[in-house]
Amino acid sequence: MQEQIKEASYDVLVIGGGIAGGEAALNLANNGFKVLIIEKDLSIGGKMILLSKVFPTLDCSACITTPKVSEISRQPGITIFTGSEVKKIIKKTENSFEAEVLKNPRYVIVEECTACQLCEQACPVVVKDEYQFNLVGRKAAFIPFTIASPKVAAIDIGNCILCGACEKACPPKCIDFTQEKEEYTIKIKSVIIATGFKLFDPLMIPRYGFGLFKNIITSMQMERQLAPTRPFNTILRPGDGKVPCKVAYVLCTGSRDATIGNPVCSQICCMYSIKQAQLLMGALPMADVTIYYLNIRSFGKGFEEFYEQAKGMGVNFIKGKIGRISEKENGNLILRYEDINENKVKETEHDIVVLSVGVIANRDAATLFPDEQLKLDAFNFINQTDPLASPARTSIEGVFVAGTASGPMDIPDSILSAGSASAEAMSYLIQNK
Amino acid sequence: MNKKLGVYICHCGGNISDYVDVEKVRQSVEKEEGVFLAKTTMFACGDSNQKEMVEDIKSNHLDGVVVASCSPKLHLLTFRAVTERGDLNKYNYVHANIREQASWAHSDDKAGATEKAIHIVKAAIAKVRYAESLVPIKISSIKSVAIIGGGVAGMKAAIELSDLGCQVYLIEREYFVGGRVSQWDTLFTTNETGKELVTRLYNDLAKRKNITVYTGTEVISNSGSIGDFKLKVKITPRYIKEKCNQGELQNAIDACPVEVPDDFNFNITSRKAIYHNFPGEYPQSPVIDTKNCTRCGACEKICENVDFSQKEEIKEINAGSVLMATGFDPYTPADGEFGYNLYNNVVTLPQLKRMIDLSDNTLKFKGREIKNIVYIYCVGSRQVEGENKYCSRYCCTSAIHVAITAKKKFRDIYNFHFNRGIRTYGKQEVLYDESSKMGDIYLQSYEDDPPVVTSQNGKTIVKINDILTGKKELEVEADLIVLVTGMVPRKDNSVGSLFKLPKGRDKFFNEIHMKLRPVETVIDGITISGACQGPKNIMETVNSALSAAAKSYSYVSKGVLELEPIIARIDKSLCTWCNACSKACPFDAVKMEEDKTKAYAVINNSVCKGCGMCLPVCPTDAINLIAYSNSEIESMIDALA
Repeated sequence: MQEQIKEASYDVLVIGGGIAGGEAALNLANNGFKVLIIEKDLSIGGKMILLSKVFPTLDCSACITTPKVSEISRQPGITIFTGSEVKKIIKKTENSFEAEVLKNPRYVIVEECTACQLCEQACPVVVKDEYQFNLVGRKAAFIPFTIASPKVAAIDIGNCILCGACEKACPPKCIDFTQEKEEYTIKIKSVIIATGFKLFDPLMIPRYGFGLFKNIITSMQMERQLAPTRPFNTILRPGDGKVPCKVAYVLCTGSRDATIGNPVCSQICCMYSIKQAQLLMGALPMADVTIYYLNIRSFGKGFEEFYEQAKGMGVNFIKGKIGRISEKENGNLILRYEDINENKVKETEHDIVVLSVGVIANRDAATLFPDEQLKLDAFNFINQTDPLASPARTSIEGVFVAGTASGPMDIPDSILSAGSASAEAMSYLIQNK
Repeated sequence: MNKKLGVYICHCGGNISDYVDVEKVRQSVEKEEGVFLAKTTMFACGDSNQKEMVEDIKSNHLDGVVVASCSPKLHLLTFRAVTERGDLNKYNYVHANIREQASWAHSDDKAGATEKAIHIVKAAIAKVRYAESLVPIKISSIKSVAIIGGGVAGMKAAIELSDLGCQVYLIEREYFVGGRVSQWDTLFTTNETGKELVTRLYNDLAKRKNITVYTGTEVISNSGSIGDFKLKVKITPRYIKEKCNQGELQNAIDACPVEVPDDFNFNITSRKAIYHNFPGEYPQSPVIDTKNCTRCGACEKICENVDFSQKEEIKEINAGSVLMATGFDPYTPADGEFGYNLYNNVVTLPQLKRMIDLSDNTLKFKGREIKNIVYIYCVGSRQVEGENKYCSRYCCTSAIHVAITAKKKFRDIYNFHFNRGIRTYGKQEVLYDESSKMGDIYLQSYEDDPPVVTSQNGKTIVKINDILTGKKELEVEADLIVLVTGMVPRKDNSVGSLFKLPKGRDKFFNEIHMKLRPVETVIDGITISGACQGPKNIMETVNSALSAAAKSYSYVSKGVLELEPIIARIDKSLCTWCNACSKACPFDAVKMEEDKTKAYAVINNSVCKGCGMCLPVCPTDAINLIAYSNSEIESMIDALA
């Protein structure tokens, strides 16, 4: 069937609706510019909306992200496409671009869905829930997560068996299997790339046994277990559902490690691990928490004090790199490491291991500009061509970068970088009027 | 009195409902007088619940709304906006905090936490019955911004605001712009020098007609507030005529008999009383330092451009917003701290940076050639005993960068890094790698076991119990000891005090919210950027400067500002002007006025924050705080009892 191509024009195209993209879009729209956010996921809010609490203030992440997300979705100057992708961007004139955007069907009429969740109850298909980082299951007809924006059901067509149960259960009859992909040609004057980062996949380090031993989880899985919308209402180890009492954190998993191709520091793992350790001390008062580290990098405002606070609460810090992890019959794990402090190789048993996985470049944006060269740096992040005087600038005039698309950073730095990208975009738009 | 109230009790995921029986709270308040509907919700702040509230308010014509959730610091504005979208005046909304005050505070006592939550919600209901519709105070705002501090942050913010069409006043206390960056030589990542970066920014700045740069200028007072700050500045003259012949000036400098330590080089060299910072500085004109000038007249005789008749000038600047970019001071070690001011070969990292910049073929200090350099990290940061508990963030990377630069520029340099855990975060890690590969030696100790500096037979020895080699006691004979000093807040904080800017535990200026509002301050209209908010490298500084520029722009761009109407109001007939309220006010919002009959207090609407400090001190009860009247407070107390 012939797909209908729709046209529209905006001042700025923001690629990515996480906290950096959202902040940049808000800054622009509040100053009168028309913005389109293209978000690949079903909800805006990026990774931050899925976090438990944030360091070093221990603000509940959902509580500070939702109002921001709500403000973004309400702002009349901002249009948001979720479940959509930018296919390519062509520079048309000195100061205009044309973007091809693909909007994937949700198979739900967004305006009519009331998020009653009856479709979810009716759906017979259970698959892994990616928003809970595979800790639990979800249906093929589902609402991504409680605080998603838009909070609207979606059909995961890849896993749907087309049984029609959801259609029958839906009171406003808003499930529509006839929806198709929509293509848009969008005229824009400027682009902000806010495509964020990817988490390191620990399967790349086989000696840690992730994927093989059930009681090894990633830090994002622990983050979900600690979040207010957590799946289990307590902390459980996945192997047998036991409440753990001896937790280990393995820092620098996939960071500062040339053997897996990522020699740089991810900048956030020390701090989020220290935060999780503090939250665990609250959630499981009897548990021991040990953090195995190379160097603790608590460098931001209030971070060092936060680290000292964790030490004061009784979190164990052991300087040493984990060589190997093996599993005992009862599911417990033996960590073999060099205790630098005592200058000895040691083995210690834990009943759950959390791998503090690092920040890896998201290369999705690299191929968006077929006719221009969007330069990447040595680590595949977007290259900042004038990092000291204009950090948001890229190798293409009129294209700016915000947040972790240009390198690892924490939330405050992402917000500042988004402010910087939106300011540069504003002056670019005014100068090229 | 409001009679049709909507009450929402939030689970906050589990933040509240884990400890407070949310449904019981709902049942306990739904029969309260005037409550039309009472609901519970998983996340009151979530988009879907906000929509539901708007619908409820509109369709039921509610005249008062209460949400019992988290602290009003987080969501008061969120739910006021919801109320407004429901076509109800937003001041008919009252916030009840049952998270910080009930669930989190009493997580060990669920029944008690629930009981307390019920009382808190009942008190909010009592208050909302008295709530009145209010109109925000509207004030006009001048489209100009005053930037205090002409370093990289200030210059970058000035360029941005100029692009956006604002009149910009860039006020620098020193005689030259560029701040700390102009003192640095090659910079990490680009190998551009600090001077080149400053030159680039200054050339950009100088092209713009709507930027006025004031050097040698200090802000001495402010009598305005957001929308119209009225700054008084004192401009100290250079005592050099504007258009002048550089060659003759050099002769004048040579003729000056005064020699004083040169601050620009962190006192490792000296300069004359008539001086340059460096060739090509901005503005490109020397200055006479009258504090040290003996008025001998030697320069005047040689050079006609010297002009002692120039006078100090006081000028008034009006600006809609003030952007602070006052930077930092490098930490000054105490006498004896790792041998500082005790042994003659102990310097700070900024001093070494200047030495490298000023030396050509060999690195010499006090006539001696330097080969072994020992860097002692975390001096003035992460202090166990002292006040500076924080990490200064830039120093690890900076020290390693300097060590590499020294090694590349001079022959036979050996670098020994006595550190407490290297923090080259992010991509800066590559530098640490590079330095290790170049053969630099890293030795590490914990905070409670710092390295020790001693002197034996004219040799300076640094000892450490190195944890990287099983706590072996290792020692290095150092030709030069470099104290890697951190960033501390400016010693002279007079301009911060002038605006009553609050400081954090680390004594740097404090933002409103580290994550969501990192460049705003509680003083309306004043933004903060760069290292005056906390240690930052250049890239982070520029990001924060541009963010602050965008925020300052939003205060002035529309020409009109809306301010909170919840402020103190004075009943002139009762006021006897005893001055007690003015003394109690932390914001200088109370002024005396007089008419034919008497003197009385007047509130400045754009400065008053509605904090209520003036109310209890008034002996004649002449002050009322809008939205916190006696009847409201008394009814809340009754509900809490």
